[in-house]
Amino acid sequence: MLEIVKRVFEIIKNFFSVMDRAHRSRVTELTAYEERELENIFVLLLLGSLAGIPSPPAFIAVELFPYMEHELKVLEARSKEASDALSELAGLLDMD
Amino acid sequence: MTTLIVLVGIAVYVILYATYGKKLERDVVKASNDNATPSQRLFDGVDYVPARKEVLFGHHFASIAGAAPIIGPVLAMAWGWVPALAWVWFGNIFIGAVHDYLALMASVRYDGKSIQFVASDLITKRTGTLFYWLVFFLLILVIAAFGAVLGGIFVRQPAVPSAYILKIIAALILGVLIYRIKMNFGLATIIGIIMLALAIWGGTLIPIKASYNAWILVMFFYIIIVSAIPVNVLLQPRDYLNSWLLYFGLIIGAIAALFSLHGFTAPAFTSFSPIVSGGKATPYWPVIPLIIACGSLSGFHSLVGSGTSSKQLEKEKDGLMIGYGAMLTEGFLSTIVVISVAGFGYTLLKDAGTKIALSTWGTTYMGSMMSKYPKAAMFTASYAQMVNSTWLNFIPIKIVQTIAGMWVASFAMTTLDTTNRLGRYCLTEIFSGLKDKNEGAYRFLTNRWVASLIPAAIGIWLAWSKNFTILWPSFGSANQLIASIALLTGSAWVAKKLKSKAAAVAVVPAYFLWITVTAAIVWFSAVVLPGTISKSPVTGITVLVIEVIMFIMNIIFIIDFIRNYKKPIEAEAEA
Amino acid sequence: MKTIFFTGKGGVGKSTIASAVAWQLAGSGKKVLAVSFDPAHNLGDIFGVQLSDRKKRFEDTLYLEEVDLNKASERYIRENIALLEDVYSYLKPFNMERYFQVLKYSPGIEEYASLTAMEELIRGEKEFDYLIFDTPPTGLTLRILALPYVTLSWIERLKRIRSSILEKRYTIHNINGHFSEKGVKLAYNEDEDMVMKKLKSIEERFIELQKFLKSENNSIVVVFNPDFLSLRESERLIDSLDELGMPIRAAIDNKYEESLSELAEEIEGKLLGGKGKNHEIELLRVSKQGRTGEATYELDENLASIFL
Repeated sequence: MLEIVKRVFEIIKNFFSVMDRAHRSRVTELTAYEERELENIFVLLLLGSLAGIPSPPAFIAVELFPYMEHELKVLEARSKEASDALSELAGLLDMD
Repeated sequence: MTTLIVLVGIAVYVILYATYGKKLERDVVKASNDNATPSQRLFDGVDYVPARKEVLFGHHFASIAGAAPIIGPVLAMAWGWVPALAWVWFGNIFIGAVHDYLALMASVRYDGKSIQFVASDLITKRTGTLFYWLVFFLLILVIAAFGAVLGGIFVRQPAVPSAYILKIIAALILGVLIYRIKMNFGLATIIGIIMLALAIWGGTLIPIKASYNAWILVMFFYIIIVSAIPVNVLLQPRDYLNSWLLYFGLIIGAIAALFSLHGFTAPAFTSFSPIVSGGKATPYWPVIPLIIACGSLSGFHSLVGSGTSSKQLEKEKDGLMIGYGAMLTEGFLSTIVVISVAGFGYTLLKDAGTKIALSTWGTTYMGSMMSKYPKAAMFTASYAQMVNSTWLNFIPIKIVQTIAGMWVASFAMTTLDTTNRLGRYCLTEIFSGLKDKNEGAYRFLTNRWVASLIPAAIGIWLAWSKNFTILWPSFGSANQLIASIALLTGSAWVAKKLKSKAAAVAVVPAYFLWITVTAAIVWFSAVVLPGTISKSPVTGITVLVIEVIMFIMNIIFIIDFIRNYKKPIEAEAEA
Repeated sequence: MKTIFFTGKGGVGKSTIASAVAWQLAGSGKKVLAVSFDPAHNLGDIFGVQLSDRKKRFEDTLYLEEVDLNKASERYIRENIALLEDVYSYLKPFNMERYFQVLKYSPGIEEYASLTAMEELIRGEKEFDYLIFDTPPTGLTLRILALPYVTLSWIERLKRIRSSILEKRYTIHNINGHFSEKGVKLAYNEDEDMVMKKLKSIEERFIELQKFLKSENNSIVVVFNPDFLSLRESERLIDSLDELGMPIRAAIDNKYEESLSELAEEIEGKLLGGKGKNHEIELLRVSKQGRTGEATYELDENLASIFL
């Protein structure tokens, strides 16, 4: 009997923890999207010559370069997804 | 009866999930946890990140759930509750959920690329481009249809607009608490829920009365303004409050339907061609998918599933719960709608003094409903009656009705402005070919404000003329056309790439759907629209133009599809 | 320590004037270092000695140096290539790191190398009372002096984007931090984010330099000749320096002749009329020197007094 109560309690606890998690990730979903795009813009501005846009004095980029591993990854990931954005946007912006 | 149908509904969904769904997983998609998903294989900590299936389910469900699964069944009640439920259950299980699941899984096997990408890979490049056009039309028609729904509910229930305005204020405050002050999330949630409750209660105290067209105009400005402000100021906190509304609405509704023990007063079946769209006798086949779209089958879900969910799927076998399960859950929502209207709609319409009669339900339902409880208002009133008939009747009926109204209105309002954000992007893609030919025109059309104005203005203009029974099926046609293309893509993937023995499970519904939707568009354009054009030419012609363009695209698509379906795949792109 | 920049169109005699000022200041007992950044390198010729990029003692309190801009650029490039090579160390087994050498041709390197050299002198040679800079041609000089401003405005913008990234990261962390499934730990604190720290340290360096360049301790001297050709360029120079907020202390009308007094007055009037809103520009005339070659640095006019 005690086992069953424990098990039920466990299930309820798990349910609420999942709910909590889902909510938390939901309210940060678009913020995370914006954050990621800002990182993308940040690295793009620094390496502007890549895209043929005006860039800051080269030394700034050179000095920041060693610390930008993550941002470069974002740049790469986003450039791969850039032409396939309709679905992602549809998923992010709830419709229906 | 209500109780019985809820139980039967749950049983149907659970049993078919466990049998038919599992068969799909095993024999059609051949899902295996040994196949690494994109989130594992391509993990980058950016887009490709595995998520627990329950969390992903919540996410996915929240993205696909909205106001549409509520409105469709209300209209479909003209055929009687059995045909309505039949499509909600079986259309969903055999077509809609299959569609969602295949779109998700095809994307998973395509490195998380979207169904649009898969379609351009499996069929032709221009099939991919088709998506932009269809989505763009869909967005315009969504604005039109939802604008009309909102106008109806705001006029019928003046407490809803004031509660909604209060909710916007609550959302703004919640936004400050979460994103500015960075308050503890649990505490902010509690404050948010309290504010939401106060907003609903406050709304009933200070109802705002205005005409339908006044509200339509307000919505126009709302769309333009809200789609321009940063997402964490209003959109994110508002949508968070929406999910709580959804839970409350669903839970209270499920409890009420279970305990109401109320008989169905609406007829089980009227005829196969009652009056539904544009005052014409509307045949069940092929038009039902245009009436009950979301809740049974929605093309938009293929984008959601293949856009974000597929990149976060942890294991292949989680896919069934997310792609198939979430769609069945949405069907359950539609089931509750059918139950509440079937149980309480007749009495409500009769008491309101309409011409409704059980013997002439098929011909009088639509007119009575539209005149006294337009669209979603039919549901909110029935829902409130249903809740009131159970031990939940300690909650004042006015409050319940406002909760239900807010539930529908909140989702519809969210759709209006997010639709507009997406519309801007679609326009840019659609006009990208113009860039080299006429740079000036391209810059003008894709300008942030102009691009924002185009879908909003057309959509609102269509809603202005009060032709809801035209607008709703046309929204359905755009939606089902996308679904048909996505499902054919999914079946091509299953048959050609996976070479599944049970491919028929995907291929047969795909062809059935294409034929149905094509026939429905032809019927709609040939039978219903001429009548509309003679009454309100601008709306009628605009809708007709969209329908004709979509029809042509549909034909081009099927030619491309058949031509490419016969061709063997040149090189196996994936292992 | 004070610094004086001598600027002006090529050939107006700014090296001569700079040498004369250095000589006169040293004569009054000040410890002076005169540095030439002008690729033409007249400084050595004027004093009649061979100079290099290591300072050389000419008199008791007068030291001379010539900075080779090419060498300075090369050194800067070398350092950065080394940095890149460290990041991409795996390229070394295939000797592919040498492809980074193309960086030599990147635009803007010369300015940055010159400014770095100037900054090092300003920072390092504190025991001198005066640092005198004979500057390269006008365009390059302006770009060098504008560099701190340009850099700071970029840094400002980048910092703003960065802090909004960090702010969003913090929001996300605050809400679902311990649930984060991303596996990557991203800094959300300004003190922990290396990129932000680096930006701030560059900013600090340039603010300090900028502050010094605009301070009382720095003087800019514009040298010109009484002819219209030099007027055009000098006008442009003064306008641009004004825009940058550089303290123009004096304008020296070099190669002045009595016979040209009318023309000289017209040009001086045009150049200085209405100019110098925030600072007084002193006008000095230096007569055309008959002799060339030996001891050109000895002039009759007293030029040093305004800098004392």
